[in-house]
Amino acid sequence: MKSFLNIIKLDYLQRTRSYAFLITLCISLAVAYTFVPEPNASYSTIRISNYIGVYNSAWIGYVTAIMTSVFLSLVGFYLVNGSVKTDLQTKVGQIIASTPIRNFSYLFSKILSNFLVLLTIVLIIFLMSVLLFFLYNEGFSFEIIQFIKPYFFITIPALFFIATLAVIFEVFFGKYSVIQNVGFFFLFSILMFLPSTTEKQFELDIFGSEIVTSQMENRVKEILQTNELPVLNIGYVIGNVEKVKRFNFEGIEFPTSFLISRMGWMLLGIVLIVIISPYFHRFNVKERKSIKKSTQNISFSKTNNEIVLSALPTVNSNYGIFLLIKTEVLLLFRMGKSWLWIINLIGMVLLAALPLKISFQIVLPVLWFLQVNRLSELTTKEVVHNVHYLAFASYKPIGRLLTSQLIAGVILMLFLALPLLMRLLFVTDFTAVLSLVFGGVFIVLFAAALGIVTKGKKLFEVLFFMMTYAVLNGVSFFDYFGCLTEHPYYIFRLLASVLVLGILSFLVRKVDLKRM
Amino acid sequence: MQLEIQNVSKRYNKNTYGLKDFSITIEKGILGLLGPNGAGKSTLLKMIATVSKPTDGVILLNKNNIVKDPNYIRKQLGFLPQDFGVYPNLNAFEFLEYIAAMKGVGGSNLKTRIAQLLEGLNLIAAAKKPIGSYSGGMKQRVGIAQALLNHPKVIIFDEPTVGLDPEERVRFRNLISDLANDCIVILSSHIVSDIDAIADEVAIMKNGSLIVKATQEDIIEKVEGKVFEVIIEKEELSQFKSSHVIISTKREKGKLQVRYISDHPIENSELKEANLEDAYLNLTKNN
Repeated sequence: MKSFLNIIKLDYLQRTRSYAFLITLCISLAVAYTFVPEPNASYSTIRISNYIGVYNSAWIGYVTAIMTSVFLSLVGFYLVNGSVKTDLQTKVGQIIASTPIRNFSYLFSKILSNFLVLLTIVLIIFLMSVLLFFLYNEGFSFEIIQFIKPYFFITIPALFFIATLAVIFEVFFGKYSVIQNVGFFFLFSILMFLPSTTEKQFELDIFGSEIVTSQMENRVKEILQTNELPVLNIGYVIGNVEKVKRFNFEGIEFPTSFLISRMGWMLLGIVLIVIISPYFHRFNVKERKSIKKSTQNISFSKTNNEIVLSALPTVNSNYGIFLLIKTEVLLLFRMGKSWLWIINLIGMVLLAALPLKISFQIVLPVLWFLQVNRLSELTTKEVVHNVHYLAFASYKPIGRLLTSQLIAGVILMLFLALPLLMRLLFVTDFTAVLSLVFGGVFIVLFAAALGIVTKGKKLFEVLFFMMTYAVLNGVSFFDYFGCLTEHPYYIFRLLASVLVLGILSFLVRKVDLKRM
Repeated sequence: MQLEIQNVSKRYNKNTYGLKDFSITIEKGILGLLGPNGAGKSTLLKMIATVSKPTDGVILLNKNNIVKDPNYIRKQLGFLPQDFGVYPNLNAFEFLEYIAAMKGVGGSNLKTRIAQLLEGLNLIAAAKKPIGSYSGGMKQRVGIAQALLNHPKVIIFDEPTVGLDPEERVRFRNLISDLANDCIVILSSHIVSDIDAIADEVAIMKNGSLIVKATQEDIIEKVEGKVFEVIIEKEELSQFKSSHVIISTKREKGKLQVRYISDHPIENSELKEANLEDAYLNLTKNN
């Protein structure tokens, strides 16, 4: 038992002792701050019709717990997903595979360490929620139980299940990051929009939020004295706050069946791990691959030609970057399984065939999001593939190599958007064309900048996922390619973002190279 | 052609140094860099290759400060890091073209040069296969090829023979002997036999400092007349170890043949001709 706990502890330490995790915690603090809008803010997070709660302990505790449950479930999967893959890539997995540890124990330790990582973020958000209560002091008494209860019964079980899902996805789709990313995206969307109105259905709500929001709705219904259920908004709703009215929310008593259902969700996660344990590859992936490759007849006959360097043809200086761009494009196109390109091609056909609005607002963001792994490796692949000693000792690695990486990324994004670009040009919507092009450049630079600053891929993957989800839900604040906004001012804002990200990428890489 | 490393230090934190006040001057020819693991060989080589910057000191190539102007050496550098990777989705030909572009070399002869390098390194038959399917030795040879893509005037090989079979090792030695005429070649290893066959000069490092830099003959001379062999009982070994520098032991008819260094040989010891390994072990154990 002690050694099992040690595995969890050390895995947790390994994952949290990174610059990227520190940044994640900082971002979590910032996001947690927005969960309860300040009284004069121009947005709301949980609103029932035109009502929000007074800022007492219950409202702040329950709202932040629900927002954490929903949003951390959404991004948490991407944050913790990859722990088995890391063991595979670092080859620690080969050592693990040769130890007596059982598949279940190993996978369960991964779940618990995933869970601990998410709990760390929850703790930060929890502390921020308490701080917000005192910051927005509206004269209500501080009741710690109104903070602890919702986090304990809503947020924690949901995150435990997400930690389990991350491991399950890795066991089944370990080599297919795209399937993991997109698969969870759809699963989350389904879970999120399953309606729960009866007590029985509340038990099936993995995020545990609907039992609370339903009571909030009932409370507002009573105030409005209507039979119609008021409209509930969860998420960042911008505008209309001047009309907002306040009501008193005192928290809820969770029924026993609901509490049992929370344990049930956690237990389900453990049962699923028991079921899938026998199918875990136990790091035998490469061997399988090499068996397949060996049929391709890699072996070759040896020659006796010795290299006489002085007799080799002379090469000239060529400081152009065309060949670098060509290879960077090649690397981007070849990354991942080739059959996944069929999905990209289908996306391009849909861009050409579906109504312009749907192509622009739905197909393009999804198609671009499918490239998340390609983009996140754009400026991190040297380190991922251990080529950095060669790359950073090359001639002008920033001016030539980084530039060509960015250009290659933009080529990929614009190539995928080409059918839509052609259509927009055809209807002479030049504002949309410009927005789309800047949007492509923006997301490439965003990936590059986050990769360079955090030295990892995760943060970009999580934020890109959030942005895509927000754009698909019509949140114009996250519209990075002009599908929801047509104002010319927007293009300047986008252009400014592009410039800032570009400068940031080049400067930080320059500092990094100096510090090495 | 001259590479001067002057009072270079690499400090990781207040009291931890990878390299401390290190100075050496390297001229044309092959310099073998020897030292135990953790001696600072790779740290030094990475700084010469401009991958890492010294905390203190300067590195001059032909009087140009390459710490301030790294592109001066990068244009004429061939560097094989100890631990390097490849992009698995590219084949060897594409990967070398990519590295050539990074180095800023091209022209109509590039493809021919790559093909001839691949042929000379026994990789031509696999040149169009993804590097991800290569064995460790094949990847190492791709690494050697990329170091020779341009016309390097400074060539740094950090543990180049890792993963190579004996035949490939011999070919590699022949290859770099050919380079010695007009280049600075720095060859790092902790395997003495990789160095002694080809190095014009040898530098021995330990704990981030230079112990000695001289020709092989001068280094060997330091232990000449002090290397002995003797047959002892197995049980006597631990006591023997405490009083002598042991180079090697070999089982022989239930007993042990011990090669050791001493100013005062024990009875029945036979004087042996000293070699570089004897001198290396003596220097690293006594410093």
